[in-house]
Amino acid sequence: MSSSLTTRLLHRAATGQTLSGSAYFEIRPDLVLGHDATIALIVKRIAEQGGVLHDPDRLFLVADHFAPPSTVDRANILRTFLDFAERTGFGTDAHGGEFHMMQGICHQVLVESPRCRPGSVIVGADSHTTMAGALGTFACGLGSTDVLAVLLTGRTWVRLPEAVRIRFHGALDPALRGKDLALWMMGHFGEGGARYRALEFSGPEVPMDGRLTLTNMAVDCGAKNGLWLPDAVTRAFHAGQGGVWPEDLDLAEGPADAYVDAIDVDLTTLSPRIARPWSPANVCGVEEVAGERVDQVFIGSCAGGRLEELGDAAALLAGRRVPPLMKLVVTPASTAVYREAMSRGWLQTLLDAGAVITNPSCGACGGIDKGLVAAGEVCVSTSNRNFRGRMGDPDARVFLASGLTAAASALTGRITDPREVLT
Amino acid sequence: MITGTALVFGDDVNTDLLHPSTFFSLDERIVRQGFLGQVAGKEQAAREDRARIVVAGRNFGCGSSRETTMLALRMAGVKALVAVDFGRIFLRNATALGLPAFEVQSAPGFAQDGHPLRLDDSVLYNDATGATLVLPPPDPYLQGLVDAGGLVPWLTARGEL
Repeated sequence: MSSSLTTRLLHRAATGQTLSGSAYFEIRPDLVLGHDATIALIVKRIAEQGGVLHDPDRLFLVADHFAPPSTVDRANILRTFLDFAERTGFGTDAHGGEFHMMQGICHQVLVESPRCRPGSVIVGADSHTTMAGALGTFACGLGSTDVLAVLLTGRTWVRLPEAVRIRFHGALDPALRGKDLALWMMGHFGEGGARYRALEFSGPEVPMDGRLTLTNMAVDCGAKNGLWLPDAVTRAFHAGQGGVWPEDLDLAEGPADAYVDAIDVDLTTLSPRIARPWSPANVCGVEEVAGERVDQVFIGSCAGGRLEELGDAAALLAGRRVPPLMKLVVTPASTAVYREAMSRGWLQTLLDAGAVITNPSCGACGGIDKGLVAAGEVCVSTSNRNFRGRMGDPDARVFLASGLTAAASALTGRITDPREVLT
Repeated sequence: MITGTALVFGDDVNTDLLHPSTFFSLDERIVRQGFLGQVAGKEQAAREDRARIVVAGRNFGCGSSRETTMLALRMAGVKALVAVDFGRIFLRNATALGLPAFEVQSAPGFAQDGHPLRLDDSVLYNDATGATLVLPPPDPYLQGLVDAGGLVPWLTARGEL
């Protein structure tokens, strides 16, 4: 064992095909993730190639972006995707792949599946495919044409990323969440600082929901993949989804010389963070922008619409109401999250506090629907990107923060350090 | 040889700026309309269809994987991309669609918007300033895709489709 886990997983998936002088080599991914938007772009070209998929059993399809659709154009995009799914055999239960209709965001639905097996190699037609790395998989995003090639041949070409080891140690402060760690990461690397690298995280103190946020946002500092080295937390989570642990695989961290950089983070030195407009790397302490008026709070997305965020919001807002003009939009990341939050009474609590609960989907995050922001408005969001214009008007300002910070800000109508509300 | 007017960008220009998600569509006219939709100061350039060569800073095309961004660039006449480096998926999308992309450290400052550029035999010429920029050869895999006209023709030529 002399390589990073990322390198070992990619070597394991290699077919042996190489090109003289090239750093790229061919791999056969275990799983291909696709959603309505980016798959719809290649449906016509797949048909032009004969329409026969190499291995539909490896396909994991989710209708999440334009589902249900909010415009005629998007209804047609979704229809294109659904027709493709039907032709591929997903109209019946007999199929070996997976198809999910409006059950949540593809990245969340994937990690809730036993198919998201630690040690597997996953590619997806979406940049935040990196999120599945929280389960100790190699997972990276591709463009639509790259995915078209995977669907038709079962293979794609990659090169080995240099790996960076990031170890979190020490106790996690009660006001800190995985999102604060992710924002620390964004501040450390900037938007391109981890470009083309593999980030391999470890740290038993960080719960699974927080790990998912970190590996999700690994792509936002440029990384090819973000991978959490599997441990007892991974094992318990995967078992909880009905998964079978790959006992035959070595999923351990590589030796020190397998990494081009090693970062040790003392969790006790971190404090709640926030990303200011218009970059997820424009990070500061929440206290530095505290007091700014907030018009909307969005709790949702693949980066921050899980039980951790919904639970924090429910705990903080229980028996209280947000200000009359506050738009508090809660979009659970999946139906499983939605159901669990419902059974715990959290949705009732949030409704009583003045929130609206939308259907599990990407929602406002990519400026798709239900929660776009207007010129001059300020939004505190648990999502991953606050690029100018992404969530609505180019003159709206979006801040990225944890569910706890977001809920505290919804409660007061001002950007609020959660430590003030917790004590 | 590739000729085009320079279209110049700074660092960390993401795909949401280059092509807002509002213009994500299967309708090519809508996709074209989104070209540079959120880039300040390029409103005139956004409307024109003409041969261009992009000259950009670091991490060009970071963010979302949406391939409609690359389709819009291609439709508006972008013939080649030169940057310090690219967002990983953006680089893959460029070459998968047959667009040559070169990573060179000294790209910033080489040209200003509208300068006439020529790309010939791995050298970029700025005919407004007389400056030249030697472009390092891309990886043979990426070069193969561009030479073939993109990933699908490359796979077809290899007998894999």
